Amino acid sequence: MRHDFLDKWSRLDSPIHRAPAGLKLGLALATAVACVAVPLAHWWALVAIGACLALVAAASRVPPSFVLGRLLLLEPLAAGVALLSVFQPDGARVAVAIVVRSTLCLATMILLTSTTPFAELLRTLRALRVPALLVTVLALMYRYLFVLVDEAERMQRARRSRSFSGRRAHAWASLATLAGQLFVRSSERAERIYAAMCARGWR
Amino acid sequence: MHVPDGLLDLKTASTTAALSVSALAVALRRLRLGLPRRRVPLMGLAAAFLFTAQMLNFPVAGGTSGHLLGAVLAVVLLGPSAAMVVMTAVLLVQCLLFADGGLLALGANVFNMAVVGVLGGSAVYRAVCRVLPGRRGLLAAAAFASWCSTLLASIGCAAELAWSGVVPWGLVFPAMTTIHMLIALGEAAITTLVIVAILRVRPDLVEPTGTSPDARALRLVAAFGLAATIGLLLFALPFASSWPDGLERVGQVLGFGPAAGGRPLPAPMAEYRLPGLGSATAATSAAGFVGTLVAFALACALAAALAPRASAGAPPDRRA
Amino acid sequence: MRPAVEIRGLRFGYGALPALRGIDLTVQPGECLGVVGPNGAGKSTLLLHLNGILPEKLPAEPCVFVDGQPLREDTLLEVRRKVGLLFQDPDDQIFCPTVFEDVAFGPQQLGLPPGELRRTVAAALAQVRLDGFEPRSPHHLSLGEKRRVCLAGVLACQPSLLVLDEPTSGLDPRGKRELAELLRTLPSTRIVASHDLDLVATLCSRVLVLDGGLIVASGPTGEVLADEALMLAHGLEKPHTLLHPHPHRAAGG
Repeated sequence: MRHDFLDKWSRLDSPIHRAPAGLKLGLALATAVACVAVPLAHWWALVAIGACLALVAAASRVPPSFVLGRLLLLEPLAAGVALLSVFQPDGARVAVAIVVRSTLCLATMILLTSTTPFAELLRTLRALRVPALLVTVLALMYRYLFVLVDEAERMQRARRSRSFSGRRAHAWASLATLAGQLFVRSSERAERIYAAMCARGWR
Repeated sequence: MHVPDGLLDLKTASTTAALSVSALAVALRRLRLGLPRRRVPLMGLAAAFLFTAQMLNFPVAGGTSGHLLGAVLAVVLLGPSAAMVVMTAVLLVQCLLFADGGLLALGANVFNMAVVGVLGGSAVYRAVCRVLPGRRGLLAAAAFASWCSTLLASIGCAAELAWSGVVPWGLVFPAMTTIHMLIALGEAAITTLVIVAILRVRPDLVEPTGTSPDARALRLVAAFGLAATIGLLLFALPFASSWPDGLERVGQVLGFGPAAGGRPLPAPMAEYRLPGLGSATAATSAAGFVGTLVAFALACALAAALAPRASAGAPPDRRA
Repeated sequence: MRPAVEIRGLRFGYGALPALRGIDLTVQPGECLGVVGPNGAGKSTLLLHLNGILPEKLPAEPCVFVDGQPLREDTLLEVRRKVGLLFQDPDDQIFCPTVFEDVAFGPQQLGLPPGELRRTVAAALAQVRLDGFEPRSPHHLSLGEKRRVCLAGVLACQPSLLVLDEPTSGLDPRGKRELAELLRTLPSTRIVASHDLDLVATLCSRVLVLDGGLIVASGPTGEVLADEALMLAHGLEKPHTLLHPHPHRAAGG
């Protein structure tokens, strides 16, 4: 897993990327609220929202294949619930409503996340007076996510090089051991980070 | 189990968001007062660890694989308040970085997994640890508590979907709980195996729970009694007939009208009759109760099988 | 002239395991001291004592003096301001989501206002030749760039003493040369622990050999590192720089 798998497109340059993170977050929330609150009778509003999103997507220069790919990846959950709701009276309408609303909301989120570097979102959260401990945890988590994912990948590669049985029980045991080792290493790294933070005068 | 946007209506989203924010505020306050500063980097790393661990594929059958949720793992390693904050961080990053789980639904997702999953799992963990002693007790407690926490999160999700009028309670509750009773077994197994792996190398990293080992047989009976109680709470209580009505009454008190979209709320206790089994809800209740006891028995068996492996050697030399 | 660093009779153990068995050391201002020795000799442990990370509880009777100031609980923060420590693993040290925030961390803790903060960060990054790296994410950087970001973060606090733990390990030859050149131009007192004996030979005027928690040799670099028998006896070897002049590096230190 390459280390930019989470943050691939957030460093492009486009009018959308340059917009302030707080504004984008607010608009995304407003769009989600609108998608949910608009009654199905006013379907033209939903179409309008969809058109706006398409415009934003085009302006952002994020490749459409990426957006569509993510949509397909994350859509099944909503589709599953839509399927369940078909068993209701008026089920078909409900199902369609669910699919339309959730697709629009999902597209909004995909555009938000691919045009806003996480560090900016953190700054917005701090400005919104989100408690410092939570923001610090988020910042550290984001910083070390890639380190841990790389470490986990290396450990898995090493394990695969020495695994010949292919039995599921072995796979579970070795994955769990890997996870356990990863945590132990992480906690030891946390101690070193604490030392580094203190070394630079952390208050 | 991340709920995407577009499913929950505004009243559900805002209520769960309000509940989550309050619970988190309490947890953060407790941590601000009681957490030593040296644990802060550990929380950040633990959040990164949980995210990474959630990506591991535990092969099940065919192409499917199980994944860790980690609420009880976090409790066992960090304690309930820190676990709540860490799980919230994971959900926030998944939403804001990966678009996994909606923005509006964030309150609901945090409520299900970081609040209910953590607090419920923590309560079960502590209760079982108090009854079953030693290493074996800890492992059985962790296994059963993770099973319960996954189930609780799924029940929360079902309640939110029903309250939003998306699916009737009488359908979504049986569907969610039957599926998650099985999924939760995976969670229990993975959580316990990971704890065993950690205990082998660094037993000091697991929060200690002390009970003196005595009167074994009686303790096991008490433990099963505890499991039975939990089973009743999980599966009988939701069907005390006032539950869905209660939700609707709360909605009316709070000033929320019918669900957005102009659809009338479906009848709260929509009874679906399955041939030969009577009402689906009653069948689920019974199955759930039995399932809880079975899960507990499996947790104990797993603990008994793994306990000898979990003994640590001499503590390793630690270089700064 | 007051010594930059003075250590008197320092002992330390990890639990029952002795790591430092009586260290006496003096470093003059502006000097560049090399610390070499086999793995497990106690080099990193010694370095961690210079800004009070070890021992976990500082003794009432201080053994470490930085710029004349004793290292005690009450003077800890002041001493830390003066000492810039570079850890072995840059991933441990860069703990902020962007380069800017990380380099700004130290000065921010010292209370610098935002405008001056920006200037300080830019200056520090320019010093390590990473101009314009402010918005970058650490995980996108190469090892050499990460090391330089760590150095910038430390330089931004303007320490009088720079302590570096294995600064060139894992770097490619060009990275090593560039870092060595950078370190040579810094005016502050430097203590460098390293396995890279060529680096020590070109950078440091004086060198200590540490083995088993004790200083077994100390003196001018040219003499100590050229003593082949001494080097081999302590798990080291005579650096190639002293055998042949290096084709790409300036000689002497």
